[in-house]
Parts: sequence; C-alpha cells; structure tokens
Amino acid sequence: MKKDDLISEEQLNAFADGELDTEEESRIFELAENSPELDARLCQQRKLKEMVQHAFRNIPQGNKRSLQRRSNKRRLGFTIAAMLLLATGATVGWLTAQTMGTGQPGMPFAVAAQQEQSEAWLLHVSSSDPERMKLALRRADELVNGPGATEARRVEIVANEGGLDLLRSDTTPFSQEIRELARNDVLFFACSRAIERLEREGVDVQLLPEANTEYSALDRVVLRLQQGWEYVKI
Amino acid sequence: MGILRGINQKRIFRNILSNSRDRLYRMAYAWTHDPALADDLVQQTYFKALRNQRQLREIEAADAWLFRILANCLADHHRTRRELLSGDEIICIENRTPEHETRDEQIVQRVRHAVRSLPLAQCQVITLVDLEGFAYAAVSQILDIPVGTVMSRLSRGRLALRERLLDLRTQEVAESSPVMRRVK
Repeated sequence: MKKDDLISEEQLNAFADGELDTEEESRIFELAENSPELDARLCQQRKLKEMVQHAFRNIPQGNKRSLQRRSNKRRLGFTIAAMLLLATGATVGWLTAQTMGTGQPGMPFAVAAQQEQSEAWLLHVSSSDPERMKLALRRADELVNGPGATEARRVEIVANEGGLDLLRSDTTPFSQEIRELARNDVLFFACSRAIERLEREGVDVQLLPEANTEYSALDRVVLRLQQGWEYVKI
Repeated sequence: MGILRGINQKRIFRNILSNSRDRLYRMAYAWTHDPALADDLVQQTYFKALRNQRQLREIEAADAWLFRILANCLADHHRTRRELLSGDEIICIENRTPEHETRDEQIVQRVRHAVRSLPLAQCQVITLVDLEGFAYAAVSQILDIPVGTVMSRLSRGRLALRERLLDLRTQEVAESSPVMRRVK
C-alpha cells in the first residue's frame, strides 16, 4: 500500500477546505513532499474548488433589466412630479426662510428636510386579505396623522404577491383611503415582478394613479433597510 | 443598556441582511440554475428573516442562519412542486452552442453543468463550502445534517466533479478537432 493511499477522500477535502488542525495538516504536507501522487491529488482538489468559484463569479441576474426599463417608464411621471414638487418646495422654503428671517440661506430645502427627518417607515403588505390591507392603511394613517407624527416622518407602503390587490384599480376596496394617504405624502409601491407574474397569467393589471412601481418588493426593502428605515410586515 | 444593545443588534442584523443579497442570490442560482427562481427564493429568504429575526440568538450566527432559511425555502419549493430532489432529473437547456462561446465561457458553462448534474444534496454542500467558505460545522447547521454527512456528500460530489471536469483540457482539445460520432 502506498503512503498516500492512507489519506482518505474526506481527509483530502478537509485539507483543501482548511478543516484540519495544524498537526494533521503538517502530516499531509510531509507525506505530499515524498509522494508525487498525493501532491497531484491535493493540487486537483484545490483546482476543483477554484473552478467552482470561477464558474459562479459572474452569474445571470434574472430578468431584472427588462423589468427595470418598464418600471422606469412607469416611474417617469412620478419622477417629473417629484422634481416639480421639490423645486416648488425649495422655492417656497427659501422664500419663507427669507420672510421669517430664521432660515439658513444657501441650504437646499431637501437637505434641510433630511436633517429634520426623525423617522421613516416601510410597511409591507403581501396578503390579499382586505383586513390586512386595512391594517396597513390604518397603521400608515396613524404614523402620518396620529400622536407624535411630524412633517418629517416618511411612510411608504410596498405591496407584492396577494398584497398587490391593494394597489390594483380593479381589485382594491380602498382607493379612497389610498388617495387620502397619498395626499399626506405616503408613497405606494407595487412589485413589478408580481405584476409580470399576473400578466403572464393573462391578467390585465391596472394600478391606481397613486401607485409607483419597483422592480421587486425586496429592492425597496433592501434600499430602505440600508437607509435605516423601520420595516413592518403587516 | 439592554435597549441600546437591542437597537445596535438590530442595526447590525439589518446591515448583514442588506449586504447578503448578492451572496444569497449566487447560492440560490448555483442550487437552481434558474435566475427567476433564484430571485424568488432570495426574496422569500429576506422576508422570512425579517419576520423571524427575533429567533436569531447570536448576531455572529446570522450568516449561517440566512443560508439555512434559503435552503428551507428551496426545500419548500420542491415540496410544493412535488419535484424530485435529485439534480440528475434536471434537464439542462443551453441556449448557446459551444461554438458561440469564448473559451472562458465554455469552461464556466461546463463547470456549471457539472455542478447542476449533481444531486441537490451534494451540490448544496459543495457550493456552501466552495462559494461561501462555510466551515463544515456551519454547513451542518445550515442543512440540518451531521458533520459526517457533510463530509461524505462533499467527498462524493467532488469525486463526481473531478471525473467530469479535470480532463477538461483533454476534452477541449478533442472537441476542437473534427471527430466521427457513431449514430445509433
């Protein structure tokens, strides 16, 4: 029996994966020095690992790109409106500050608003149960109008899966409430992937005018978590 | 003090979560080879993790915990679809022919194909160890199997990969020259 035959496949793997203790590692190094066969087996094992890593370094990213184009198109109107609103806000803010004499000239409105911002909330609805939807809307209403609400508080509702019904004009029982909340600056986002899925099933999805789209609910959640928002699954 | 620690832990957890998306997606893709399904699994993993974050006792274990949720989401998916867990049953559909691929793409596709053709159980162990660098003990926790099983699956999976891949260069040379194939 050759020396390297004493090394099992499991030991070889453990060696390649750094799972052995120093003593055991030294023993294998020593054996490999005197056994070209064992040395070759070790090299193969490492090579195999590197091949697997290489094969999954750049992987296809789903159908994100095509959906993003669609989302951008849908979002264009919203973006223009937001820019106009921001410009108006900046002008009004600047004029008010000048009139009151308390502002900080030169500070952009958006920056000032951000500095005041104390809380931001993302509510997530994935159920088509109207009670859940109602709960989400009530929670949003409490946040923007209830005790402790400030103008700086930001609230968004993101809907996916069954929750998409909340933002579909043909299925929502709450269009009036959504309109009211949107007037209070609550933003609504529908998951484009959920829309695509329904459209593939032949459903013509029409969203409420207050609804914006995001590639996926997850995109919105990740973005807001990164920005330190509170996340609440309803 | 406890509240502050709690807030800090929550912030750390959410940071980990936010930064794990690409890694979870890569793993989901390596297990399913389906970008849309991988996206769905990552989304489910995220929402489950957010919903159950209180179950995470130690923030240091967050990584393994997230991958465990991912593995459970995939198992649920297979259960729902009543699919066989064996990777051997998966039919590989290649849109591009090797002639249209660069040499690097050919290698990448061949390795992916080899990984794809492993039984899922072996594929999961190999990718968790090789792509994420998880220790065997962590893989054992993620997949809820004994460490010994991790080692034996890894061993069988790598043997199979070695058989399929390590004569790659010889295969490539052989494939680049015209050969006669017997047609049954």
